[in-house]
Amino acid sequence: MEILAVEGLTFTYPKCGSPAVRDVSLTLEKGEFAVLCGATGSGKSTLLRMLKRELTPLGERTGRILFRGKELSELADRDSAAKIGFVMQQPEQQIVTDKVWHELAFGLENLGVPQGEIARRTAEMASYFGIGEWYDRDVSELSGGQKQLLNLAAVLVMQPDILILDEPTAQLDPIAASDFIAALKRLNRDMSLTMIMAEHRLEEVVPICDRLMIMEGGTLAANGAPADVITRLRGREELLRGMPAASRLYAELEKGGSCPLTVREGRRYIEENYRFETRELPAEEYTVPVEAALSLKDVWFRYERGSRDIIKGLELAVGAGEIFCILGGNGSGKTTTLNAAAGLLKPYKGDIRVFGKKLRDYKNRSLYRECLALLPQDVQTTFLHNSVREELSECGADVKSLPYDVSRLMDKHPYDLSGGEQQLVALAKVLASKPKLLLLDEPTKGLDANAKADMTAILRRLKADGVTTVIVTHDVEFAAEAADRCAMFFGGQIVSVGTPREFFSCSSFYTTAVSRMTRGFYEGAVTVAQAAELCRLNGKREAAR
Amino acid sequence: MRSFSEFDPVAVTVWFFAVVGVAMFCGHPLLMAVSLAGAVLFFAVRNGRKHGRSHLFFVLLFAVLALANPLVSHNGATVLFVLNDRPVTLEALLYGVNSAAMIVGVLYWFRSFTQIMTSEKILCVAGTVSPKLALVLSMALRAVPMFARRAKQVSDAQKAMGLYSEDNIIDDLRGRMRVFSIISTWALENGIITADSMTARGYGTGRRTQLRRFRFTAADGVFTAITLALLGVVAAAIATDSLTFTFYPRIDVGVTGTLGVCGSIAYGALVLLPVFIETEVSLRWKYLQSKV
Repeated sequence: MEILAVEGLTFTYPKCGSPAVRDVSLTLEKGEFAVLCGATGSGKSTLLRMLKRELTPLGERTGRILFRGKELSELADRDSAAKIGFVMQQPEQQIVTDKVWHELAFGLENLGVPQGEIARRTAEMASYFGIGEWYDRDVSELSGGQKQLLNLAAVLVMQPDILILDEPTAQLDPIAASDFIAALKRLNRDMSLTMIMAEHRLEEVVPICDRLMIMEGGTLAANGAPADVITRLRGREELLRGMPAASRLYAELEKGGSCPLTVREGRRYIEENYRFETRELPAEEYTVPVEAALSLKDVWFRYERGSRDIIKGLELAVGAGEIFCILGGNGSGKTTTLNAAAGLLKPYKGDIRVFGKKLRDYKNRSLYRECLALLPQDVQTTFLHNSVREELSECGADVKSLPYDVSRLMDKHPYDLSGGEQQLVALAKVLASKPKLLLLDEPTKGLDANAKADMTAILRRLKADGVTTVIVTHDVEFAAEAADRCAMFFGGQIVSVGTPREFFSCSSFYTTAVSRMTRGFYEGAVTVAQAAELCRLNGKREAAR
Repeated sequence: MRSFSEFDPVAVTVWFFAVVGVAMFCGHPLLMAVSLAGAVLFFAVRNGRKHGRSHLFFVLLFAVLALANPLVSHNGATVLFVLNDRPVTLEALLYGVNSAAMIVGVLYWFRSFTQIMTSEKILCVAGTVSPKLALVLSMALRAVPMFARRAKQVSDAQKAMGLYSEDNIIDDLRGRMRVFSIISTWALENGIITADSMTARGYGTGRRTQLRRFRFTAADGVFTAITLALLGVVAAAIATDSLTFTFYPRIDVGVTGTLGVCGSIAYGALVLLPVFIETEVSLRWKYLQSKV
């Protein structure tokens, strides 16, 4: 049964020359899970907001949107609010009330549902999502992932027929994002809930969706089964980047069979199509620079006297000019380590040196002048002004000497920029003090695949200028692409260090999709490019077999 | 089996305002003494030896309040002694003691009240009056700490970039101003998203209901009825001038008729009502435990 139909939809924002959404037509069947992807600014959000009457932006609209065969504007207020659920990107800002239970009840209270019914439905929803344990808590005590799960539950409690999600995992770390996506998958499977979701974390979503739609410049460039859509994207590097590793490998190589989406399908694809004579690419020698940019020796830290140790006897040495990634789970102490290295937190024992000099020997903030700079996880906190221009001139940043171009952003408000652009501007602010050691906390959070690739390129350019970078991240794929060396942080210490190739090929879970896909066939392949090269070197298997 | 603090918030609030209302609007020393003693007893029963030191502060406050009146007010017929050519009178001293008892008593009631009435219960009471009021309160309760946290994050981020030093007062102030101004922008920006999230979930589509997580049981009903009945007796006594007491120019106890005596006993019972409940509950609990 057709639940939603869009016919020839065109939308233009006021005072804009060209339409943000151009002649889009699509239909959604009951129980379908559709994923909408595309670059930042391609009109994904605008399209999704058009589907929810309450959030439709002002502007000029032509075309029709039908919900269950009825024009969207003809729905009753309460039906429109309840039957079309919408989850936004920001976990924190979407929450209205101060308690978890109240947030769950909020939508039903608005609809005037009787008390007993509200109590029953919220209880039901809380047990389905395992929210029961934190039902009585303040929302401020929840983690980002829990907040977003609460937002999802608070919409579902109204029993919508269709769920619209606008990049719901963009602000979450990869583990929380996987949990969120798993929850969606379960809903789709158990409840046959119709969903349309804009997303750029495609590795996990594409294999479970029924339909993949790609937006480009406001039009629907592709719309169909995921494997077919990806096959047609061959050669379109900027669109392929976010796709699952297996499908990217397939797109790099020659055609043959259907497009693999998951690691399992990718393994079968390699096994059936390629030979395994050359097992390994020639190893690139990597020697750790002798001079240490940052060294921590036997560092111990806890926040309060009575609390537990967060950092326990940490030993770490980062060579000058390296790009060093620290990976690890939530709450393992990664960010704490970064803050300690930046001198914001003081360990109770141990020795931290920056370029061979103890932290406390940097007097009068000389540490932060042309030496070390820290970019926090939430880059919005670095902005204080109403335009990028003021922002950069305040800290004396020289726009021309930056390794990238921000001139097109100069007159915008920092809050109006996309996640990737915000990251670039914040980085420009931090680079103004000409640091030799740059500390980055989760620089890829909320970035789409292209912005991530840009970030990698920028880090490379900074490295060429002699800047040492220490990155704390959850993002395994990014670390594999960008890092010279990676380290695994667990239980307050570094448990293993190595070049991405050594590091990822010896771990079996905490590793890239490519590494999991090529394990046993080839050794040391971590990125798609490496795997593709190995496949090409070996050549195709005889078709006769 | 519920202790007093687990009674329905509306019942608790009604009781609380009855006790405090009488304490604030009737200046009779007997009632003040009952109120003060009851308030301290109730707080002690609930908290045991915790907050031990804070009592000292209230003793001091009591002394200061009691002694301030005779030094300022010189009414009264019985002169105790003369200080700086001004008479210090017995009546003024007693009046001071009486008002100190009133103020300290009310403060103690409020201490217990804020302990019992968590934000959630206050919201529940507000929601009984108007669901919209409850929503506004709930949003405010969330927003204020959220902005405080954000301000801390922003100023930390600036520090780590080495932008503002605190060595220089003017620079420091300017930095704080900027942080404040960007937080305001951030709040507005947030507000838009929150407003979207509210309309998306049907806010403003008609009459709201409210999920009430406390159940007004028969025990709450009985408790509220007793509270109101006792309050009625006290109010009748006060309204018929059966409980009068004059300090100036000379202490005059007035005529305390039968109604006055009943009123005093009723107030005593009203004040001790929760202490009865707490004791009864703890005794019953001990008995039940002995059977385990």
